[in-house]
Amino acid sequence: MKILTTIKKVVDVELNINVENGAIVENGLQYVMNAWDENAVEAAVQLKEKNGAETTLVSIGGGEDNTKIIRKGYAMGIENGIQIDDPALANADSFVFARVLQKVYEKGDYDLIITGKQAQDTDNGQTGIILAEYLGLPCASNVIAIEVVDDRHVRVSRLGDAGTEILELALPAVVTVSDSINEPRLPVMRGIMMAKKKKIDVMDLAGLGTTIDAVGGGALKSEIIEFMVSEKRSAGQKFEGDAAEITAQVVALLAGEAKVL
Amino acid sequence: MAKVLVVADIKQGVLKGSTAELLSKAGSIGAQTAVVAIGSGVNALLSDLINAGSDTQYIADDPNLAMFSAGPYAACVVDAARQSNADLIWFGFSESGKALAPRVAAQLDCACATEITDITLAGGQIEITRPAIANKVRQRIKVNSAQLVAVVRAGAFEAREDITGSENVVTLSPPAPDLKAVIKELLSDAGGDIDLADADIVVSVGRGAKDQAGVTLVKALADDLNAGFGASRALVDGGFMAHNKQVGQTGKIVAPTLYIAVGISGAIQHLAGMNGSKAILAINKDPEAPIFNVADYGIVGDLFEVVPVLREEIKKVRA
Ligand SMILES: Cc1cc2nc3c(=O)[nH]c(=O)nc-3n(C[C@H](O)[C@H](O)[C@H](O)COP(=O)(O)OP(=O)(O)OC[C@H]3O[C@@H](n4cnc5c(N)ncnc54)[C@H](O)[C@@H]3O)c2cc1C
Ligand SMILES: Nc1ncnc2c1ncn2[C@@H]1O[C@H](COP(=O)(O)O)[C@@H](O)[C@H]1O
Repeated sequence: MKILTTIKKVVDVELNINVENGAIVENGLQYVMNAWDENAVEAAVQLKEKNGAETTLVSIGGGEDNTKIIRKGYAMGIENGIQIDDPALANADSFVFARVLQKVYEKGDYDLIITGKQAQDTDNGQTGIILAEYLGLPCASNVIAIEVVDDRHVRVSRLGDAGTEILELALPAVVTVSDSINEPRLPVMRGIMMAKKKKIDVMDLAGLGTTIDAVGGGALKSEIIEFMVSEKRSAGQKFEGDAAEITAQVVALLAGEAKVL
Repeated sequence: MAKVLVVADIKQGVLKGSTAELLSKAGSIGAQTAVVAIGSGVNALLSDLINAGSDTQYIADDPNLAMFSAGPYAACVVDAARQSNADLIWFGFSESGKALAPRVAAQLDCACATEITDITLAGGQIEITRPAIANKVRQRIKVNSAQLVAVVRAGAFEAREDITGSENVVTLSPPAPDLKAVIKELLSDAGGDIDLADADIVVSVGRGAKDQAGVTLVKALADDLNAGFGASRALVDGGFMAHNKQVGQTGKIVAPTLYIAVGISGAIQHLAGMNGSKAILAINKDPEAPIFNVADYGIVGDLFEVVPVLREEIKKVRA
């Protein structure tokens, strides 16, 4: 089985994010692998360990930070890495990324594509599902377990509205994974050392055999015109002291002042 | 005139409140309203669909649609969108909505936005607002395609009281089943619990409760208040609470009148699921816990001491 995992470089959401003149201030930001993509990498590596598979990751993006997340994927156990780096993709959205990933898929001969359920910078939750539509492949999103049935099928569990849905997908297929699927491993020193020496297959859109217009980057379906800082809730009243006393005080406020009881 | 198609949010045979909220919003931007209901036995919901404020009802009622299946469900929405010529196709916030919206948008070749909190139509230009980066920022987005598929964030729009609809039923032909993604089993969530999305008060429990005994203690508070009972991921991962009880970015987004966080630190992924609540009460023994930065009322204390007193005091004021 050949598994393709998608990983995206995103801003570290734990750090402060500032906005000026409608744009995010770059200064002070740090970049990491999207958390849900760490789950995707872990899922791929676990399938490799359990059932035997050839694992490849692909990341669309550039710069040193992008190299860093690819090396992290290697250190976690992925064997091959493809990087699509093209300045024309600077404003790409989920549809454009899905078209680029479609090209990557078509050049390999993969049985299973694993994406994160959502990227922490966009919070879109779209790319994997759109990719499956473009490829005409079966897809399950918000997946919390993947099991190989035979070389043509996987059984997946996904969290739906009515409960946990268990589906059998005919391969090739696309799954998008939730953080509930696994606990991503921390790379060990030996893995980190090996990852440093591994080759990354870097190419631009031309190298992939396509153009920015062919992947829809010339005519975006929507555009972000402005970022704004979310209004923060402000801290209210905090009570410390005798538990019985302060609790009684707070209940009186909830009933009287806030009128929510 | 803009045309809105709302995908009815139906859970366990019941039409959820979000459907009326979305139809109300459609009415308030002066749009024509249609709804599409998909499932088995959904014909029975016709009067509810009309009362929610729809002028046209597209109905796909088929035994094969009893369980959610993204392929066939998306086919029904696309069919209704094409027949109704909808400019805007809206889903209420749900797992099925999140699974369907990108599929529908890809098939209609139009823009897609999840978790939108507002939408405006000025001179035919669609503009939306949505949070991103775990709610740290908001994006204002201009839609370039003629159509937009969107998932509306919980609590974004309010249902109007005076809303009415009219009956105009269009029956959709049942779609082909997805033979490449076959549902084998549905492990149903425990029934009878209050749906977190509907609850006026939500009580959530975190790692501070430690074990099952702690969870039971906090659950009693939720029961007293007739509240929805949720949890942080720590307790779901620990196996103390079911997945469908998780509140947060990967769990349920809730916006109740009162949210009570018990023994929860307030990680941004948790906050992203509840910071739209009207009032927040936090109970945590660490005075520096980040949850206090968003709580309207904070009790610094040991939950094992505070929760029993809280129950007594609430009983007193409610008596
Ligand atoms: C991609 C991703 C998605 C995530 N999605 C979610 C999500 O949807 N929902 C979610 O909740 N988390 C989510 N998380 C996890 C999140 O980052 C936190 O790890 C989690 O919310 C922590 O849960 P907690 O607050 O219960 O535990 P902790 O952070 O361990 O906090 C426990 C709190 O209890 C307090 N406490 C301890 N004992 C007592 C006591 N006796 N009385 C009172 N207080 C006490 C402590 O002071 C502490 O503040 C996600 C993480 C990632 C990376
Ligand atoms: N630039 C990218 N490079 C690689 N994978 C991506 C990229 N953008 C999105 N993805 C994948 O698609 C998932 C969903 O992204 P999004 O639709 O932006 O929420 C992510 O978790 C990634 O796995």
